[in-house]
Amino acid sequence: MKPIIRYVLLAGAFAVATYGPGWWSVPLVAALWGFFSADVHRVRNAGLAAAAGWGSLLLLDVARGPVGAMAAQLGELMNVPVFTLYLLTLLFPALLAWSAAAVTRRPDPALRDSGLPASSS
Amino acid sequence: MITRGIAAVALAALLFAGFRRVGPLPPLGPLLDPANGVWAGAAATSFSRDQSLAIPGLEKPVRVIIDDRGVPHIFAESDLDAYRALGFVVARDRLFQMETQTRAAAGTISEWAGSRALPSDRRARSLGLAWAAERKLADHDTTSAGYRAIVAYSEGVNSWIESMRPRDLPVEYRLLNTRPGRWEPVHSLYFLSRMSMTLALNDATLKRLRAQSLVGAAAADALFPVNSPIQEPIQPNGLGAPRFDFSDLPAPGAPDLSAADTHELREGTLAALERGGRPEGGDALGSNSWAVAPSRSSTGHAMLAGDPHLDLTLPSVWYEMHLVVPGRFDVAGVGFPGVPGVIIGFNRDIAWTFTNTGSDVNDFYKEVVDDSISPARYQLDGTWRPLESRVEVYRDSRGSVIATDTVRYTHRGPMQKVDGAWLSMRWTLYEKSREIDNFLSLAPARNADEWLAAMHDYIAPTQNGLVADRAGNIAIRSIGSYPTRPGSGRGDLILDGSISASDWTGRLAVERYPFARNPEQGFLSSANQQPVDPMRNAAYMGSDWDSPWRAMRINSLLRENAKVTPDQMRRFQTDPGSARADAFVPFFLEAAKREKATGRGDRELSEAAAALGEWDRRYVRESRRAALFESAMSELARRTWDELIAPGDTAGVPGYNLPEAQMLLRIAQHRESVWWDDRSTPAREDRDAIFAASLKAGYAKLIGEKGAASSDEWLWSRIRHANINHLLRIPAFSAMRIPVQGGPSTLSPSGGSGEQGASWRMVVELGPEIRAWGVYPGGQSGAPASRRYKDRLSRWTMGQLDQILYPRTSEDLDRKRILSTLNLSPARQ
Repeated sequence: MKPIIRYVLLAGAFAVATYGPGWWSVPLVAALWGFFSADVHRVRNAGLAAAAGWGSLLLLDVARGPVGAMAAQLGELMNVPVFTLYLLTLLFPALLAWSAAAVTRRPDPALRDSGLPASSS
Repeated sequence: MITRGIAAVALAALLFAGFRRVGPLPPLGPLLDPANGVWAGAAATSFSRDQSLAIPGLEKPVRVIIDDRGVPHIFAESDLDAYRALGFVVARDRLFQMETQTRAAAGTISEWAGSRALPSDRRARSLGLAWAAERKLADHDTTSAGYRAIVAYSEGVNSWIESMRPRDLPVEYRLLNTRPGRWEPVHSLYFLSRMSMTLALNDATLKRLRAQSLVGAAAADALFPVNSPIQEPIQPNGLGAPRFDFSDLPAPGAPDLSAADTHELREGTLAALERGGRPEGGDALGSNSWAVAPSRSSTGHAMLAGDPHLDLTLPSVWYEMHLVVPGRFDVAGVGFPGVPGVIIGFNRDIAWTFTNTGSDVNDFYKEVVDDSISPARYQLDGTWRPLESRVEVYRDSRGSVIATDTVRYTHRGPMQKVDGAWLSMRWTLYEKSREIDNFLSLAPARNADEWLAAMHDYIAPTQNGLVADRAGNIAIRSIGSYPTRPGSGRGDLILDGSISASDWTGRLAVERYPFARNPEQGFLSSANQQPVDPMRNAAYMGSDWDSPWRAMRINSLLRENAKVTPDQMRRFQTDPGSARADAFVPFFLEAAKREKATGRGDRELSEAAAALGEWDRRYVRESRRAALFESAMSELARRTWDELIAPGDTAGVPGYNLPEAQMLLRIAQHRESVWWDDRSTPAREDRDAIFAASLKAGYAKLIGEKGAASSDEWLWSRIRHANINHLLRIPAFSAMRIPVQGGPSTLSPSGGSGEQGASWRMVVELGPEIRAWGVYPGGQSGAPASRRYKDRLSRWTMGQLDQILYPRTSEDLDRKRILSTLNLSPARQ
């Protein structure tokens, strides 16, 4: 499977998992991904895919209703610029997925055989 | 390994922040989750065009059409199904508001906000708001229409709560990190208890007692009279003009020290029982209503205008609705979120509205108890009677007990310990009543007489109910329970609680209530003024009446216009004219002229008089002179009533403790009245000296605060605002500093804080086809991000009204005006 397709599917998995069970399934999906994937960049990609998955859902929300108004109000309430909230909405799943994938990541077979330590790229 | 360790720590931290509140931040996971969190919640405020849902409890399908103003038109086959559907849609729009208001009455806000809310919770429970509501529910006939309606309504509310998706959770619950509780029928009664607290817990006696302690009983009674010196009553007195009693006031007498003690006791009681904050002085909470008979209407049909003023909040205190049950009722208007049915509105035959009567319906009794610390019994007619005790437990958001109180009740009501004495309070709110049945029975009324009959046994809060019908009848009655008392009949003393002879002897007969039907003048109006001229009916009903300035203005407008149009009815609601300004400005100008003529005037006084003389006495946003008048009036009250400043009181007297402006007008007729004398000077001032000095001081004060008289800082739009706070007082969810037309004592009065005002404006023309217009400051949705949260605010600010859609059937509604259709069907159970 091409890496880009794998990446899109992973992003989809994060979106579906969030839509279904809830936000807390993001680290679960990422942990499974980290454990089973042989992708060299599986930890980084988990973070990016989670951000992409939530970004897609956010775009759907934007298309459906007054998300901008909500962001402006929350920004005023929390005393932060509006873009911070959007950024946080992407960073939060990205970091969750990255950290979960990093925790469960197994050393690459090639590295295992060579005895070198695994990197978190 | 290091990276894995960092990742593990990061994961733990993120999961913690995701699940748990960190500082002021709510849990981030459910907040930011784009499928179920705030973003999805904002998206969910846009309804889908067509929706079908099965909800438990429905007997037959119900069709709900939401129009483009967000108003649900509910077409049901039975009353109860209509109320179930209403509960469902109101909860969908206003769930957080509904729960907040009932928690405020029940004294359980601390379960959300912790100990910060404890003082207000304690006050609510000390007042027995929940106790009264629960007693009423327990006494309710369970087969009555009202009881069945609140049960059906709660089923509808709970259907929404149970069918809510995570994304539907209102944002306030997310911020508080809590979930909505189940809605119980008693919650509707909690809300009505709280409304009674807003409208019918007052004690004008305090002001009188305070004055009595300084200037003696005779002067105090004259300064705070039971009867208004300007009579423009709700029940027309046949004079066709205001009646004035402008005899001079008795001179200040010797201080009455016993009154000082009583005042202290009573003030302590109110401070312990009341809301905490003092109500604003004047008529900031001033409602208006009027109706014209066909003979005075340009269209030849009766017309009615409703303009209730309440605390302004977002979401609005009102929710607009239209309920249709063929053969039963077809009613539209506004109701309270949390209470089934239309409270102010119209049907195919009648329209009605209310203003607050403000009568004296609560009294205090000094009780004799068996133990001053922890009493279990109280004495009545020489025998000991057990006190009813209710242990009030306050919990925080984690369910931990943060405080407990024991509230004790005599047969009169809850007891409070104030300055070592135990005082109980009797209040009409505590009486058995069936207000919900009363309100619901208005919907099918077919004429004014049926409407009046439906409100015949209404108890509290007392209201001036105005009704007009399609046959051209107009009628008004000050409805509610007016207690009759022994002795003088007045409830302005602390009574002896140890004898039953102090108790209320009954209630005023309905036949003695202020009432008028189809008066010769062709119109009726009310503005919280004394409802009946004591020359016609001397029964004591209270003494805390608003000054009749608004009534004078309404009646003047109606008298001037022989044929009133619907648009005039609308414009009157925000009319910037002021009977108060009309009465006082000439005195200021005349005083300045006289002072100048006698050589006592100076340049500043001349400038002030010239500036005031430029004013057209209209409180429009562009006016630069309304502020000057208000500043001068403030000075006038302070300088005139210096006798009411207690020795050693350097802070002055708060405005709410001073006599009403009509008392100033009364003594203004007497140039040499002793009340004009400024006691701090050796000279003996007269009226003109005080008016002139007040004008000059008000002018100087304004220049000091705002700059030159030509400055834009003098613009009324910069000075007077409506401030509409969100229920949690979150600025981002509020609408603040809205420049409004109107000032003190205009038809759209605005108080200093701007937190009270016109909560619903309505005009109804009762022709062959009903035409109605209305607006309130806010929108139908309670979701701050929703387009319908405050979409009506700009039109409210400008005094405009929306045409209210009133289709007979669901097919009659113009498709272009339909926002959403909701088909509710019975769920299999």
